[in-house]
Amino acid sequence: MTNTRGTIRVVLRELGYFFKGAALNIFSWEFLTVLIPLVALWELLPQLGVVPRTLIPPPSDVIVTAWDLFVHQGFIHDIINSMGKFFLGLGIAIVTAIPLGILMGWNIAIRKRTLSLFQLLAPIPPPAWVPITIILFGIGLPMQTFLIFIGAFYPILFNTYQAVKDTDSRYLASARMFGASEFTLIVRVYFWHALGALIMSVKTGVAMGLVMLVIAEMYGGRTGIGFVLNEAKDYFQIPKMMVCMITLGGIGWFLIEVLKFIELKLAVWKGGAR
Amino acid sequence: MIEAHNVTKFFSVVNEDRTADGATALLSVSLTIEDGTIVSLLGPSGCGKSTFLEILGGLQEPTEGCVYIDGKTVLEPLPATRREMIRYRRRHWFLSPLANSLFRNRPKHDIAMIFQDYAVFPWMTVLQNVTFALKLRGVKRGERKRIAREYLRKVGLADSLRKYPSQLSGGMRQRLALARALSVQPRIILMDEPFAAVDALTRERLQDDLLRLWDETGITIVLVTHDTDEALYLSDEVVIFSPSPGVVRNRFSVDLARPRRRTDPELLVLKERITSLFRYDIIHESEYSI
Repeated sequence: MTNTRGTIRVVLRELGYFFKGAALNIFSWEFLTVLIPLVALWELLPQLGVVPRTLIPPPSDVIVTAWDLFVHQGFIHDIINSMGKFFLGLGIAIVTAIPLGILMGWNIAIRKRTLSLFQLLAPIPPPAWVPITIILFGIGLPMQTFLIFIGAFYPILFNTYQAVKDTDSRYLASARMFGASEFTLIVRVYFWHALGALIMSVKTGVAMGLVMLVIAEMYGGRTGIGFVLNEAKDYFQIPKMMVCMITLGGIGWFLIEVLKFIELKLAVWKGGAR
Repeated sequence: MIEAHNVTKFFSVVNEDRTADGATALLSVSLTIEDGTIVSLLGPSGCGKSTFLEILGGLQEPTEGCVYIDGKTVLEPLPATRREMIRYRRRHWFLSPLANSLFRNRPKHDIAMIFQDYAVFPWMTVLQNVTFALKLRGVKRGERKRIAREYLRKVGLADSLRKYPSQLSGGMRQRLALARALSVQPRIILMDEPFAAVDALTRERLQDDLLRLWDETGITIVLVTHDTDEALYLSDEVVIFSPSPGVVRNRFSVDLARPRRRTDPELLVLKERITSLFRYDIIHESEYSI
């Protein structure tokens, strides 16, 4: 009983650290001196008629539309729907690309047999996969998941492989002298040495995955942020488009902050004093 | 006992104008190191002494010749003929012969190695670094912490068990490396310029610590250094290497009882002889290079 309560307390404390850190990261006093005038300018220029209000709606209009979207049109369901697909695609990319990257970085025999294949496939821009994916999977969840997976897979794979390959040979030598098996080396040396780059690669994967999420939903979908965005274009609802864009930006920023926090927690040794 | 028979190491290199070339790092080095002694390999940089140490430890294979530790071969040289090479490649296509087994932790020889730049794992705490080494040597879970604490106390790191190496000074990191190497109770410790990266005062203290621990355990120590004072103060025998190609130039026994004084006249006489040897090498370089 005390144990669960202790765990809850630790989780709450860490969550507190996370949100405080994330908020401080972006809303510093120095940045607010830039942000507030910018928003004020955005509000004032359309209001004063310097730019047409129909094309560039001021933030007040955007907030009103956002309220309407979230309260009356169930936009939150679109967000949850999009995030579900996104995490499915990103998750599949992470659980395939990271082990594969580690294997490729670890062993030259595996690397020689696989790297060229990925180097040939990776330059294909992920949006170019859209038509064939629609034909193969139809329109729906599998197609959208696959597109997000394709976007996130290559950056994660290549960064992981490169980081594992560049593992400092001194660490390997010293572990080998003590008799470490190759499996132990992977789990206790290669992985930890590459950890920073691994998280960096997932950050890139998040960015690419969001790109592919929007593309997938625009081309084939009946729900999701990308669909709402595309629909708003058809009805010329510029404030609605802005709400979608800001939401996407916010999601990306939040996920990067989460990854930064994970890095901070896992790579304690880099912080020095603690 | 470590026996090296005609160890030769040849590197292929690519020149600046992109022509292939070779460099002989070691040429026919034969050496016998008795149990329980401290032997220094001394020479200017680039004379192949570090390469020789890595061959002793089995981290590189010799091009020719062989190293035996207690009669067991450390690493075979690579095959010379094309046909043998093809067969060899087929046998080792997945794991290189330098690699250890795939799943089971098992040291090939009872050796520990200490590197110049510590090579302690920065992602493990001081205690974890030592317990990890013990785990690799198959020490039971319950014993690991006790042994690790014991050896960390011996090198004076008992208060920093939970710290990470980045929070330690250079001398402390080298102490940690020393504790880690000693904790697995090896019969031989190979040291590659262990005290080169710390300041002079710390170096003298570390040398004294090393001698004290050697006295307690009676292991064999092979020490690579370019510091003549260090070699003479620590070792029973000093082996002089000379560069391009790396050959054993000379061997000096230091038959002084320990504890020695750093300013002992006999050490100074030996030092004078060694430095004059190096000076001679520099002046008559052409006669000694092949």
